[in-house]
Amino acid sequence: MDLVVTLSRLQFAMTAFFHFIFVPMTLGMSVLVAIMVTLYYKTGKEIYKRMAKFWTKLFAINFALGVATGIVHEFEFGMNWSVYSRFVGDIFGAPLAFEGLMAFFLESIFMGVLLFGWDRVPKKIHTLSAWLVAIGSNISAFWILVANGWMQHPVGAKLAVGPAGKKAVLTNFFDIILNPVADTKFMHTITAGFILSAIFVLGVSAYHLLKKNAVEMFKKSAYIAIIFGLISSLGELIIGHMHTVEIAKVQPTKIAAAEALWETQKGPTISLAAWADEKAQKNVFEIPTIPGLLSLMLYTDPNAKVEGLKDLQKKFEKIWGPGNYIPPVNLTYWSFHIMVFLGSFFVLLFLLALLKYKDLENCHWFLKLAIISIPLPYIASWFGWAFAEVGRQPWIVYPANWQDPNSVALKTAEAVSKLTSVEVLISYIVFLVIFTGLAIADFYLLAKYASKVPQADEKESY
Amino acid sequence: MNFDLQTIWFILIGVLLIAYLITDGFDFGVGILYGFIPKNDIEKRVLLNSVGPVWDGNEVWLITAGAAVFAAFPEAYAALFSGLYIALFIVLVCLIFRACAFEFRSKEPSPGWRNFWDKALFIGSALPALLIGVAIGNVLGGLPIINSAIYGDYLSGFVYTEKFPINFLNLINPFTQHGFYGLLIGIAGFIFFILHGVSWLVWKVEGKLVDRAINIAKKLILPFIVLFILCAIVGYGISFKIGDPSKLSYLALPNNLLESLKPYIHGNTIVHALFRFPTIQTILIVLAIICTLLFYRHISTRNGKCAFADTALIAALGTLAGAFGAYPLLVPSSIGIEHSITVYNGSASTLTLTVMLLAALIFVPIVIAYQTWVYKMFLYKISVEELEKELKAEPDAEAY
Ligand code: HDD
Ligand code: HEM
Ligand code: HEM
Repeated sequence: MDLVVTLSRLQFAMTAFFHFIFVPMTLGMSVLVAIMVTLYYKTGKEIYKRMAKFWTKLFAINFALGVATGIVHEFEFGMNWSVYSRFVGDIFGAPLAFEGLMAFFLESIFMGVLLFGWDRVPKKIHTLSAWLVAIGSNISAFWILVANGWMQHPVGAKLAVGPAGKKAVLTNFFDIILNPVADTKFMHTITAGFILSAIFVLGVSAYHLLKKNAVEMFKKSAYIAIIFGLISSLGELIIGHMHTVEIAKVQPTKIAAAEALWETQKGPTISLAAWADEKAQKNVFEIPTIPGLLSLMLYTDPNAKVEGLKDLQKKFEKIWGPGNYIPPVNLTYWSFHIMVFLGSFFVLLFLLALLKYKDLENCHWFLKLAIISIPLPYIASWFGWAFAEVGRQPWIVYPANWQDPNSVALKTAEAVSKLTSVEVLISYIVFLVIFTGLAIADFYLLAKYASKVPQADEKESY
Repeated sequence: MNFDLQTIWFILIGVLLIAYLITDGFDFGVGILYGFIPKNDIEKRVLLNSVGPVWDGNEVWLITAGAAVFAAFPEAYAALFSGLYIALFIVLVCLIFRACAFEFRSKEPSPGWRNFWDKALFIGSALPALLIGVAIGNVLGGLPIINSAIYGDYLSGFVYTEKFPINFLNLINPFTQHGFYGLLIGIAGFIFFILHGVSWLVWKVEGKLVDRAINIAKKLILPFIVLFILCAIVGYGISFKIGDPSKLSYLALPNNLLESLKPYIHGNTIVHALFRFPTIQTILIVLAIICTLLFYRHISTRNGKCAFADTALIAALGTLAGAFGAYPLLVPSSIGIEHSITVYNGSASTLTLTVMLLAALIFVPIVIAYQTWVYKMFLYKISVEELEKELKAEPDAEAY
């Protein structure tokens, strides 16, 4: 493949992964902080104030890099994917603009009030600001996922030719917002953020409980996190399932790759593990479960037919011309499976936490488990994105209806800017170095402030 | 001028740009002054905290303006952002460092750490402050782009014809028309940002820091006026060549606008192309100069509020003068004017423009209302003494 395309993909994936280290925490922590601030003003208890301040600090440190990596993302569409940008701009630009107008302003302006407003602005306004930050960040997720969901399933648009060439034009704005792929994606992604923040709060609280620091406060924090996390992780199982069903309707190649299904089968199984030989187009090994499970999950019929990659490749070639239409199978398979395994584990984790809650501070093995679980939801989210994005290759805009050659679609290789590989190489390396450095600095500060013991109770009287 | 959706969106993008220059503009100014006026750590922290609670909300105007160009004029977004790749890349690196400098700097006492972030904040503010003007000047001066549809390529859109590193170096090459104009506006813009930063400090901060800021501003006023007038004169001299008159239809201009260009066509060049509304533009420029003089008066009397209004008006008037010149061109082409991006051949569909217009009409006023409200809440004065007191009471207080 062309070097510019490869480098641009690497760069985009790299920025996306860095952005998504910080984003999910913003989505969930903003809600948790808003709950704590509300509790403080409702009850007037100092312990909630200390709690809110402690977690807000961590939230703010995390937030900075979310902002810094987000700007890069916003500009990268035009910088690296200019053909893509002009081709889809009629549809794709609007959600990004809405995101700025409806979400980023709310989020970042009231973040200032949340951070600097303690004892300076009236209680009501401070509480309101905390909620506006939470609402703002989750609205921002909505709009960006409407944009991303449209790339997965480009509804509400048709092809047209303008004075500067061929492009997609909007036919119905409500189709874009009500796109089922986008809406399930939105629910799935914010819930992933909620789970991640809940495990973060639980894990950090567990650390302090092990050290017997501020036991009362961290036990209360853990309680809030457990309830929030249990609801979210249970919800995620259902939403994740709905999401899979939606994707199965529109992207047959992704679902076939997710289960490493080479041959078309009636009532295929879901496997626990598999490894594909992508050249020979077959699986080297496979650990199956109950037959018919996949068809049952996707189409509520254990005998339904699910198309395999080999047949799909033939059909795509007939409609869209020669080319490889099979995404990288092992990567797609494993990112899907790891996400689902972890999703199930999180439910167990929170259930256990609830059962052990009474004597949480003395249940050392669980506290240790909670601490080492902190990275897991990050891994689940990353693999989720890898699955969604890698699984749609070679398309950057997956055909709205893959059986209709006139529907809106664009291949990744066509979408790239007319740049030289030197330019992209420079930016790729510099961004990689900078992001790595900043992420390390950010983790260092997070660890520093997360392990700091909040002021003891008696000093609280200022 | 025609009052159609394309024109309205041209105006709206101008409004977003002005909002950005007014809000984030003083953050840049304070960031530049940060390299010169503070004498010790606590003075630095006063400067940081003077913009701390608001800078992020200000930066969102840039993000929104970028996204609005994407949505309303996708061809311009695609061509400019990929054409100016390295320049934008530098701006992004600066903005990343600036964002982190605010949050990270004071969270660690080590002098090495703080020194590093001090530099990051200064460069992260100074370089974009220069490059924003450079970009505007280059666009006004005409970039070497072609419309690939003219050559039968229906997918690539408007493409920048020079390859790296020339495409980057020519942006600041004084021997090209666009590079020269870019440099000129870049430097004028840089000084403007400093003046605007001084306005903010006079408004928001008390103490010796402000005296030093005012002294710097007083020295810069004359150079600024001279540069500003020079920008106008050079702008008057800018002309574009017509490659192939039969291809002018690719500009997709309505007839009356095409006619309005005709008087400026001499042979195969368009002269005074950026000054087709000479009366209005001259008035705007004169008003901007008057504002600069008022600014001098207001900083001398320490009237921060009025000084801020003066510099804000300079940004608005300057942008308007440029916008009148550019319309209906968004990105003139130096290869031949028929290759230019206009508000007509570069715009999104009527439906998209309508939906977006509704959203903008509802949300821009709401945003301005609550941003102003939050600004009012944060307009308490800060000073070295106040900050020291606060940090003593609560060492972990939320402060930069
Ligand atoms: C599901 C959530 C989600 C996803 C998939 C993305 N973002 Fe994001 N983004 C957020 C959720 C978010 C957020 C939670 O709202 C952030 C994190 C920190 C913050 O300030 O807001 C944010 C910040 C953020 C900012 C800075 C806003 C500011 O200055 O306040 C920009 C410009 C973007 N993002 C742009 C993008 C683009 C162009 C994306 C797509 C490629 C993207 N984001 C993916
Ligand atoms: C923040 C979470 C996200 C992550 C972690 C992520 C991950 C990735 C990855 C891994 C790729 C490379 C795929 C490949 O080339 O094999 C990619 C590509 C891409 N994604 Fe995403 N993505 C995210 C969000 C989004 C969103 C929200 C959008 C659009 C609004 C988007 C648009 C794109 C585009 C334009 C490409 C480039 C074309 C391509 O290589 O396929 N991504 N992303
Ligand atoms: C438990 C069962 C789960 C199922 C069945 C499931 C299903 C899915 C599916 C089908 C996609 C791809 C959507 C697409 O291609 O557009 C996806 C993406 C994703 N998943 Fe999951 N998921 C589950 C759990 C989780 C968990 C626990 C997390 C994180 C904590 C998570 C995070 C993500 C993310 C961030 C994405 C990318 C965004 C998106 O496409 O929605 N998932 N998931």
